[in-house]
Amino acid sequence: MSAVFLLVRKDLRVLRRSPLLLGALVAYPIVIALLVGLVAGYASAKPRVAFVDEDNLPQVVSVAGHSFHIQTVIDDVAKQVALVRLTEAEAARELADGKVVATITVPTGFLGDLETTVVSPHLILETGSGGLAPRVTQQVQALVYQLNQKLQGGYIDANLAFVRLLLHGGSGKFVGRQFDVLGLDQTEKELATLPPSKRVATIANFVRQAKEGLAQTGEALRATANPITLKQAPAHGRTWLLSAQVQSYGIAVTVTFLALLLAAGAMAAERDEGTIGRLRRGLVSLGQLVWSKVALAAVVGLVLGAAIAILFGIVVEAGGVTGGEPWARLPLLLAGVVLAAAVVGAAGTLLGALAREARTASLLAVLIDLPVVFLGLVPRGAVPLAYWISLFLPFAHAVRLFGAALYDTSPWHVVGVEAAWLVGIGAVSGTLARLGARTLSS
Amino acid sequence: MTSPLLRALRVARRYGDVEALAPTDLELVAGETVALVGANGAGKSTLLAILAGAIDPSEGTVETHARVGWVPQRPAHYSRLSARENLELFAQLENVRDARAAATQMLERFGLPDAQRPSGELSVGNRQRLNVALALLGEPRVLLLDEPTASLDPGQRRRVWEVADALRAEGGAVCFATQNLEEIEHATRTIVLQDGRVASLTVEEAFG
Repeated sequence: MSAVFLLVRKDLRVLRRSPLLLGALVAYPIVIALLVGLVAGYASAKPRVAFVDEDNLPQVVSVAGHSFHIQTVIDDVAKQVALVRLTEAEAARELADGKVVATITVPTGFLGDLETTVVSPHLILETGSGGLAPRVTQQVQALVYQLNQKLQGGYIDANLAFVRLLLHGGSGKFVGRQFDVLGLDQTEKELATLPPSKRVATIANFVRQAKEGLAQTGEALRATANPITLKQAPAHGRTWLLSAQVQSYGIAVTVTFLALLLAAGAMAAERDEGTIGRLRRGLVSLGQLVWSKVALAAVVGLVLGAAIAILFGIVVEAGGVTGGEPWARLPLLLAGVVLAAAVVGAAGTLLGALAREARTASLLAVLIDLPVVFLGLVPRGAVPLAYWISLFLPFAHAVRLFGAALYDTSPWHVVGVEAAWLVGIGAVSGTLARLGARTLSS
Repeated sequence: MTSPLLRALRVARRYGDVEALAPTDLELVAGETVALVGANGAGKSTLLAILAGAIDPSEGTVETHARVGWVPQRPAHYSRLSARENLELFAQLENVRDARAAATQMLERFGLPDAQRPSGELSVGNRQRLNVALALLGEPRVLLLDEPTASLDPGQRRRVWEVADALRAEGGAVCFATQNLEEIEHATRTIVLQDGRVASLTVEEAFG
């Protein structure tokens, strides 16, 4: 059997004999998977929002000749939040208790303003003080946006009715007043009966231009209502993005923490135990020693990564999270996990060699892990320097690789690029670890 | 003339500006037992570790013509593994054909407990015996012992010297470091070290 295999088996046996550490290793993926699952579940869940109707909206509201069934509209547009009808007092109580995250109040006079089509009625939003408030505000804004979109059609049709009245003439009603309009068509006819003159020709020309202009009003109104429309590009993801992202972060954080910690601790422990001297006597080369710690990190990373992915998948499936779990991508994900864990393990081995003492190595690993993870979480545009630094650390590459493996329809380009980065970082770390290992036995 | 089993040529070790061992020559030939004596910090352990290949010399070379066993001053084994597991692991690393049988033989030879108990929980004496047993796994012809009897009771000390004397009698060589003057009687040759150098002193003068 190879020396590397013997040392990995020894380290796994030592790991198994450390009840506290083993317990933490078993519990860690479970806790991470549950937390990540909860986050994913929360991301797809609808916050409960109170709907207070102080204007006693009827079941059916007529706006500009269009009839809207209130509950149907609410059900239709409330894709982001679960609206619950409550009285004002109930809503205030439940908001204070945290049972609802916000209240939307329809104030008295809302329907009257709405029916005029000339005054914008308003809804009142009150959010709780918790951390969800910004998200709820965004969701209610989205809800109001969708309501407005539904009402726009009615408003535009109402405005166009006035335009048609101007064009063709007839009887109309505005703000409760009945009136008759001659209309441009009839005006044109009346002008045709008049004796030709320069003034008549000028007026007839104006009427013609006005008719042409008003004929475009419908499109213009719609364009004014929606100067910019958002069209969703064809989906290139194979599962729900957020679900894949949180899973990627969960696994990457776990692998980064544990692989670094284990490799650093295991390497430094060879000196603590005094065994480094025995091993160096021609039994194990320094290269083999480094490889054994890298392999240890990869094996443990694989087991933990698989455990998290499977547990997360179960949570996702059980919770009915949008997109489900991409089980078919598990092999690709786990191949990435092995690579990432090995690369982090190489860095951990370097750390352990330099620290020369297991407790120091473990403490250093924790201290280094946190900034490495945070640097990897900084978006490129936010702090460019942090992004550039994170390029030379494994965490951000691991996250992108895992995300592509789980999410992208064609993941090979991203997986290839990130894997190449990881291999490069691993090669540098491993070489430095090999050099650093010389100090262990001195 | 008998060819040496192990030869050190001008080996030295420095830690930064500190010279732990000045350039030193040493040969071990079959049938001899060499005692390295000197006060703490004299360079005995450093010289033995270099001879064993456990640390690299800052300069000089070591020629090895026989399998070498090394008993470091501090027991060196995996404390969470049992004595048997340690013996089997190092036997496999030494490419011993039947690692399990070799481990069993060592357990019996040194009276070590064959249980799942972690070796870190063994008594100091048992840990030191395991330390010696690990050094003998590859059936070395050269045995390097760094204060091997420091924590052993008289019976255990006797057993260690029986092993060393037997190896020498079978055509091997032994080199040991000690601060116990009574143990010099086991040596056929004595080298006194002082401040990292071979000194022309008597043993009594070395401990001044």
